[in-house]
Amino acid sequence: MTENPRLIDRQLVHRCLAGDALAERALYDAHVERIYRLMHRMAGDGDLAADFTQDTFIRAFSRLEQYRGDSSLATWLHTIAVSVALNGMRKVKRIRGNTDNIEDTPVVAAEPRGFPADLKIRLHSAVDALSEKLRPVFVMHDVEGYTHEEIATTLGIPVGTSKARLFDARAKLRLALAAFAGDHIA
Amino acid sequence: MNDDQMDEMLIQGVRDYNAPTADTPRDEMWRRIQAARAEARAEARGLAPAVVAIDSRRPRRWVAPGLAAAAAVILAAGIAIGRYFDRIAPHAATPVVASVSPARPDTVRTTSRDTSADLVRKIHDETKKNDERVRALALKEPTTSRSPDATATGTAGTNATGNGVTPNQSLAYRLVVLQHLAGSEAMITSFRSSARSGQLDAELSSWSRELLSTTRLLESSQASTDPVMKRLLDDLDLVISQIVQYTSKGTTNPEELDLIEQSINKRGVMSKLRSTIPSRNFPAGT
Repeated sequence: MTENPRLIDRQLVHRCLAGDALAERALYDAHVERIYRLMHRMAGDGDLAADFTQDTFIRAFSRLEQYRGDSSLATWLHTIAVSVALNGMRKVKRIRGNTDNIEDTPVVAAEPRGFPADLKIRLHSAVDALSEKLRPVFVMHDVEGYTHEEIATTLGIPVGTSKARLFDARAKLRLALAAFAGDHIA
Repeated sequence: MNDDQMDEMLIQGVRDYNAPTADTPRDEMWRRIQAARAEARAEARGLAPAVVAIDSRRPRRWVAPGLAAAAAVILAAGIAIGRYFDRIAPHAATPVVASVSPARPDTVRTTSRDTSADLVRKIHDETKKNDERVRALALKEPTTSRSPDATATGTAGTNATGNGVTPNQSLAYRLVVLQHLAGSEAMITSFRSSARSGQLDAELSSWSRELLSTTRLLESSQASTDPVMKRLLDDLDLVISQIVQYTSKGTTNPEELDLIEQSINKRGVMSKLRSTIPSRNFPAGT
């Protein structure tokens, strides 16, 4: 008989709050991989991803008493993570002054078979250019494979809004790629 | 091409969008998280960073700048341990370190006449005073489910250990482990400094042996239940063993020295030590 995951979450949190260092590390180990991966997708940079991940856990541990078990611990942590990443990326953009443009975009390392590199560069730049509302939904759903329910809980939006934002994001990307892709498809 | 085909193409094209190219730096991030949390806790408690205060009154002319920092860290830890020992066992505590008043941090002060050998001897003396305490506590500390992860970072939670260990004892244990790590850092720094100059200090041989013995004791103690601390102690064991072998020969050998340097650098021993014993985390002044 499997234990209720929420119950396990609550027990883990309870141990952390009691000062159990092993429980803290267990909590970290259970979630760090997925959060770091998402942070990397959002930031596009290993150092930034590490910073965002660290901030996420620092905040999480400092606010652990606020976790009430209404959502899973993973969702709660992801909510913090996405907030940290969005705020962090705002600062990064301000510092960089939005000087990046498509021509400056670095060459993408890996290339799936049959997918032209220049098209992929254009596509990645178009994802970068998505608005702050659309990009997290697109990245979480189409890149990292989160469900709309997970995204909705994490971002604090209704499931319908998550679906609508994904639809909008894809529409914008299709538009951005249409002319460029046409050359390859033709 | 219709929308569905285009979406399929999109998904295919973004599969490696900002994909991590290396493994998740779990341990590195964890160390930073713990260091940041310990720092935040110290600030919340309004603890004065004792080492900074000591530093500001420190003579400027040090033979080796690295040793200066290490000495300050050891002194701060010594003061803190002394105070906690006084609280835990006021009758049993030897007043060696406790007698070092924070108002007079002259114990490991150097003068402009100090040579490198003098400085090494002074720091060694300072660490030696506490070495017995480290061993005594490591030997008698009870088996516990509590990880001394906190050991390294000063994690809070000293109020309930559930095994009969009082908060003061628990804190004292953490402090002595920190003390040992600070002493190890000082010894390695001294060794490197000494070895680079080609004049190996005789004091280093006995100092490294003592530290190796304590490291091994800690490896089989509560400290090693924390994987991060265990790795650090394993790394220390290897590096200090090499130093013990090197210094026992009493002759310089560039190739062996290079191997020791490689071990230190490859395992990131110094950076691990420094991140584990951030000077501002010592609860001196409490």
